[in-house]
Amino acid sequence: MHYYRASYNTRMTLLLDIPATPASPLHRIDPRWKLAGLLGAAVAIAFLQSSLAACAAMGAALIVAGIARLPGRWFAERLGAALVLPAFFALWLPFVARPGDSVYEGLGIAISVTGVERAAALIAKAAAIVSLVLVLLATAPLQDTFKAAQALWIPGWLVHLALLSYRYLHLLGEEFVRLRIALRVRGYRNRARVHSYRTIGQVAGTLLVRGYERSERVAQAMRSRAFDGRFRTLHGYRTHAADVFFFASSLLAAGTLLAWDLWIRW
Amino acid sequence: MSAASAIVVDGLGFAYPDGKIALTEVRFRIAAGETIGLVGPNGAGKTTLFLCLAGVLRVPAGQVNVMGLDPGKPHDRRQLPRSVGIVFQNSDDQLFCATVGDDVAFGPLNIGLPADAVRERVAEALERVGLAGFEARVPFHLSAGEKRRAALAGVLAMRPELLLLDEPSIFLDPHGRRELIRLLSRLDGTRIIAAHDLDLILDTCRRVLVLDGGRLVADGPAETVLSDTALMEAHGLEVPYRLRG
Repeated sequence: MHYYRASYNTRMTLLLDIPATPASPLHRIDPRWKLAGLLGAAVAIAFLQSSLAACAAMGAALIVAGIARLPGRWFAERLGAALVLPAFFALWLPFVARPGDSVYEGLGIAISVTGVERAAALIAKAAAIVSLVLVLLATAPLQDTFKAAQALWIPGWLVHLALLSYRYLHLLGEEFVRLRIALRVRGYRNRARVHSYRTIGQVAGTLLVRGYERSERVAQAMRSRAFDGRFRTLHGYRTHAADVFFFASSLLAAGTLLAWDLWIRW
Repeated sequence: MSAASAIVVDGLGFAYPDGKIALTEVRFRIAAGETIGLVGPNGAGKTTLFLCLAGVLRVPAGQVNVMGLDPGKPHDRRQLPRSVGIVFQNSDDQLFCATVGDDVAFGPLNIGLPADAVRERVAEALERVGLAGFEARVPFHLSAGEKRRAALAGVLAMRPELLLLDEPSIFLDPHGRRELIRLLSRLDGTRIIAAHDLDLILDTCRRVLVLDGGRLVADGPAETVLSDTALMEAHGLEVPYRLRG
């Protein structure tokens, strides 16, 4: 039991860790311009529909990650973890044919070629967006990125929510581990039966209640240190030509991909 | 309020929105520079009293005066964080920023200090708690003792005249506890320490308040109050080992 907990906590901490990355040109970009450029690119990528354009976007995002000199293993593990959910949906797409799709039939099964392309587009888009997010996280202190978000008029509550989620996610993970241990020492094992489902529901409910209580205490701690809803940091920003160039290049690349995607589909 | 009184609590009552009465007719007075122990069983109202003194919970005007400020008045309540620092029971509730440095800077930035003054306060506060050079460390990588000291640094950076410590020795190993006692003995100003660790109270406080069921049931010299077996047992406490005959 002890080893399970230790290993879970280590994994949780590693998952949330942001590594110290070697200096790269992207580290020197003003976080406001970087956030605006990468967010703009991510939104454009989300609108792509053709698999070709999506794969090109993924290639471009991987090049950006390379320029940012992200640690390979750190990057691959997080990218892999983030792709599990879209992969779950993409897995079924080749077997779901819509009217007008080109279908390949053989060995007694029908595979939608269009569905394969849709699945490829979905995975490629997700990989591209996650890569850009990881670049954003790893090339500036998190606090600077949050302050940049506020400077870009992203609502304060959303910024605080993101910051506190990051900070407290591992604590909720630890609570979950404690609850699991408490269940196991009383003989609980996961089985496909009503008792298990009810227990899982109760654990989820307990985590929600504890999370709520913790949020109350965090709010009290913040108020006791004069927090008035505005987020402040020590880091000031200055715009340089390279920042504007990066922002413009990101948007230009994203715009080109969108135009190409429209042209392919037209 | 007399000039030498840091805190005057005069008939303080507090009930939570669900109707639970947490404090009833609490009255005491604390002189500037005193270190007071606040003891009582679980649910006695110790944390609620701290939150009322710090202006985190709203109390009616006229019942409390802390460093010349009335937490019942909105204007005074906004000023309270400059004078009153509260170290919470669970350090994880207090360390919410991504790095220790940012967390310690949180309060000074909120009260509008310029960046240079904030940096100076951060370095000074971390130095005082023995965490110099921890600015870039991530809070969830710290040990329990380090978290406690980082949380204390975040409060000391505000340079409060009144320090409220809620169960400061909880989660600490014996070494961490000794370090904490040494640290507390070096701090200036008025302090109230709420704790179940009665030996810690004996080591750091000369006067003790006993709270039970939201009522103040005893107020006197630490050794006298804590060695009163009948009083201790009546309120779910035990005479510290050191004071047993």
